Amino acid sequence: MPITVNCFATLAQYSPPGGQMDIAPGMTTGKLVDLLGIPRDGVKILFVNGLRVDLDAPLKDGDRVGMFPAVAGG
Amino acid sequence: MNTDPGRTLDDLAESASMPDGSPVRTISPRAVRSAAHLLGLSLRETEILALEREIIPARYLRNFNSLDCPSQAALLRTRVALVGLGGLGGPLLEGLARLGFGMVRAADHDVFEPSNLNRQLLATGATLGLPKARAAAQRVEDVNPAVELNVRQLFVDEAGFAEFFQDADIALDALGGMASRPAALRGAALAGVPMVTASVAGWTAMAATVLPGCPGPADLFCPGGDTGGLCAEDHLGCLAPAINVAVGLVLAEAVRLALGREPQLGGPHGRMVAVDLGTMSWDRFSLG
Repeated sequence: MPITVNCFATLAQYSPPGGQMDIAPGMTTGKLVDLLGIPRDGVKILFVNGLRVDLDAPLKDGDRVGMFPAVAGG
Repeated sequence: MNTDPGRTLDDLAESASMPDGSPVRTISPRAVRSAAHLLGLSLRETEILALEREIIPARYLRNFNSLDCPSQAALLRTRVALVGLGGLGGPLLEGLARLGFGMVRAADHDVFEPSNLNRQLLATGATLGLPKARAAAQRVEDVNPAVELNVRQLFVDEAGFAEFFQDADIALDALGGMASRPAALRGAALAGVPMVTASVAGWTAMAATVLPGCPGPADLFCPGGDTGGLCAEDHLGCLAPAINVAVGLVLAEAVRLALGREPQLGGPHGRMVAVDLGTMSWDRFSLG
């Protein structure tokens, strides 16, 4: 099923092409992080459809995922 | 010359017209200074009196009509506490002064170094080695002397944040790095002051409003209070375009808060913003 993944800052290198990818139904956010090759401790905040979730959130068709490392520069 | 405040200001006002042809009365910076001297008031107080008579200080004329006279006067009555005068804090301070925020408390312990020159507005060849606080004071005096600025070369520590933010209407977190950000959030919460916080790494800019008692980005970035790890900016640096985006987001939110409007970057109905200038994407997220 198609989802959109937006990885910010240092995680941008792991973004799928065009931010689009197909995953198996019911995949969790943690499995998605693994699938993208991102070290789990590098993801500090995860959002699905604008709401904060943990690594065990199941994903649905059309979900929009956002991932952040720690960002504190100024 | 009379010293009735209203008549004094009326006498010093000039007729002008807006770009659409509508008539306005304005008062020049020099005339504001004269009126303040005659009336025994500060520049800020004089500008407020003028605005109450719908006389627009010329320095704010191009804030109109996005900011009307009552709104402009409200900004002049707003107390902002700004921590950090570097990449984010320098242009934030300048933006506050140009918008006409009337009372600003600011602090930074640091001095300018060459690596600040890529993005920090107040870092120039002339200010290298000087305290950021001193450059900030000079800049505000040059840009808008009506701003009553209390700026100190000071490292605000864990215990100091609540006192620093006390009595402010708005707290602005312009710190660089993670180390003090969770403490700043706690301090603003203790002081009961809404905080607008921003951070940058590479092409990414983030901004959020944190109401007292609510979680902020720094809480989520540092689970368990551990601020020790590397952050994205340690790899990606901090680029001026991302700084400028973050500063614009924070200033717009500060105006909303000063005018008593609902925050848009946090609170019950708002969401933080993340912008990636590498992909030109804009996302909104709820931290609740």
